[in-house]
Amino acid sequence: MTAAGSTRTLVVWVADWPVMAAGIGPEEPAVVVHANRVVACSAAARADGVRRGLRRREAQACCPAAVLLAADADRDARAFEPVAAGVEAVAPRVEVVRPGTLAVPSRGPSRYFGGDEEAADRVRGAAAAALGGRAHVGVGVADGLVSALLAARTPTIDVVPPGGSAAWLAPQSIDNLARAMPEVAVLELVGLLKRLGLRTFGAVASLPAADLAGRFGPLGATVSRLARGLDEHPLRPRPIPPELVVAAELDPPAEQVEQVAFLARALAVELGERLSVRGLVCTRIAIEVETEHGETLSRLWRHEGGLGAAQLADRARWQLYGWLQAGVGAPTVGITLLRLAPDQVVPDEGRQLGFWGGVRAADERAARGVARLQGLLGPDAVLVPQRRGGRGPGDQAGLVPAHAVTLGSPVAALDANRPWPGRLPAPTPVLVHGKAPVATLVDSADQPVRVTGRGLLTGEPASVAVAGSPPVAVVTWCGPWPVDERWWDTAARRRRARLQVALADGTAHLLALESGRWTVEATYD
Amino acid sequence: MAVTEAALRTGADHAALAAVVARSTPTTLAGERAFPVVPALSTLLPGGLRRGSVVSVDGGPGATSLALALAVAASAEGSWVAVAGAPSIGLAAALDLGLVAERLLLVPSTATGAGPGPATVLAALVDAVDVVLVGHRLAPADARRLLPRARERGAVVIGLPGRWPLAADARLSLTGPSWEAPSCRLSARRVTVVASGRGAAARERRASVWLPAADGTIQSAALAELGARAPLPPALVHRERGEGA
Repeated sequence: MTAAGSTRTLVVWVADWPVMAAGIGPEEPAVVVHANRVVACSAAARADGVRRGLRRREAQACCPAAVLLAADADRDARAFEPVAAGVEAVAPRVEVVRPGTLAVPSRGPSRYFGGDEEAADRVRGAAAAALGGRAHVGVGVADGLVSALLAARTPTIDVVPPGGSAAWLAPQSIDNLARAMPEVAVLELVGLLKRLGLRTFGAVASLPAADLAGRFGPLGATVSRLARGLDEHPLRPRPIPPELVVAAELDPPAEQVEQVAFLARALAVELGERLSVRGLVCTRIAIEVETEHGETLSRLWRHEGGLGAAQLADRARWQLYGWLQAGVGAPTVGITLLRLAPDQVVPDEGRQLGFWGGVRAADERAARGVARLQGLLGPDAVLVPQRRGGRGPGDQAGLVPAHAVTLGSPVAALDANRPWPGRLPAPTPVLVHGKAPVATLVDSADQPVRVTGRGLLTGEPASVAVAGSPPVAVVTWCGPWPVDERWWDTAARRRRARLQVALADGTAHLLALESGRWTVEATYD
Repeated sequence: MAVTEAALRTGADHAALAAVVARSTPTTLAGERAFPVVPALSTLLPGGLRRGSVVSVDGGPGATSLALALAVAASAEGSWVAVAGAPSIGLAAALDLGLVAERLLLVPSTATGAGPGPATVLAALVDAVDVVLVGHRLAPADARRLLPRARERGAVVIGLPGRWPLAADARLSLTGPSWEAPSCRLSARRVTVVASGRGAAARERRASVWLPAADGTIQSAALAELGARAPLPPALVHRERGEGA
């Protein structure tokens, strides 16, 4: 019998999912990197010594043959849909925990197939078939999601006997909790617990739950429940108010995924507002679409910590892409209805704001405004700056979409500390022209000024005419700085010389000579 | 008769209510009614950027830098800054000036003609951030509609050079730019900023600034002049060397 307060759960875990999602089998060496760190690697790469958290260069040193892949949450989620569909064929109510991991309530399948082991075998077979037998699929059945997740990751055990989860977890390292729930808050708390000498699940479970809640807040209470092999939230069956379901009809039916994804974002924001008014947070959401032919597709997504509006929108978009790329069961015609229905809601326990700084009112106001603008203009319309390395005026900083970063926290600079020989000296120009106007640079004898192969000017610049306007005398000029970029790449190679000119009317330009033509690359406005 | 009494009573109620409102409204300190500006510009805008006001910058060499520099101190003190409708702003220069990257939003342009116009975008930005730099070509009617919203939200609107179609509360223009190029590169520009405007800002003020200074920031150039005329105590001279170009 299952311990009170937990749901018997079957978890399917695909090893090294980010690598698999890119279409690379475990026998080929491959490494997925994000922000210069390894986030996943294939079995072959692991055999050569690659580990998560290594720097890209270290990983390449360990395994020079490895294919380098950029981390892409969209790709991971899209590719996972066939696996979810395959498992759903043998066990209903599939919940995607995150791309690569899904959970099923195991009571029904176990009774139908005649036992937990049999159900686990069937589900493993279905998942492996969906993957074409290329990947290692781990299956675990236990009380509660975390025990089942860990059982799925442990090759020696598939089924933890009912009621035995707490005893099975007790000797395990508390690090495994962070492996099962890879979230920043959990990682931080696990690190703290270890420093306090609580190194196993058993040690955490032996403390009174009230004390953990009192010291560490709602997350402490959750960790205490998990360590004792219970579900992360106490089961409080409550009917979901029907007004929490948000839906939008599409007329005419949408053929493009982008169209529906755009709508999903607006719906997610609306749902987030409705939930927050009631003080609730959604831990499991059903994403449903209907098509013109009456097909109904539905998939559950869950998240232990509760889904915010942005996370809801991401999951809806992933799911839509997943459906569209699935061979079997993909919608045959346009989508007429999109519905986001919360499947499980729990009271929002709120956040303890940091004593120093943390989330401030201004940051929240900005985040709301950004969400609103993204709804108005599309998700990529609001951008935040990022320092980058580069030589030209426009290369030293770039833009990333606001939804790709955590608002209000610094965006990591990209290659900014490399030497970049020949880079433009400070100060940088304030206007960088996207479409550079053509300039005519002449010397005092009205002869066009060029740059020789040795990087010298053929004459003293006397006047500049920009885009056909009357010429203006040059007061000061500096340069030229020849730049030969990407000479190893025939397509992306650029060879040019840059020259600063300060003109009699007070303006200053950065001119660039490329293929015998001067253009105004930037202006010191 | 009954009507008059009711009216009188309502009047009295209103007065009582107004008294309660006045008592319960939190006091706003003068410092909270305005955002700070960098020291180099403080003589031009002595009260800082008043919340709900509009500052415009006239076109000319250095004007875009000046518009960005106006928002620097507010950004450093924790305000969010947005730049709308200006796709060619050099981001590296904006960050060098001192705008804080994690509190800077850019909405380069409304993608196509089909989407909502600049007025909608700016209204949403005024709701979201404290300082909005406007690079759109706004219709005067749209600009007029934006003003009460900015006043209600306590945001400051800064018109990028030549883009604000109405009269602004404070107006800055630049004269006499001259570049320093000591070691064969343009290193610093000295420029005189003239501020005029309405109300408290009506008196014309001038300040000489390095925009940009050699490190890309904005620095006052007046200290150096002062030092040239009258010798300063050694401690001040030392600081002046640090601050001048």
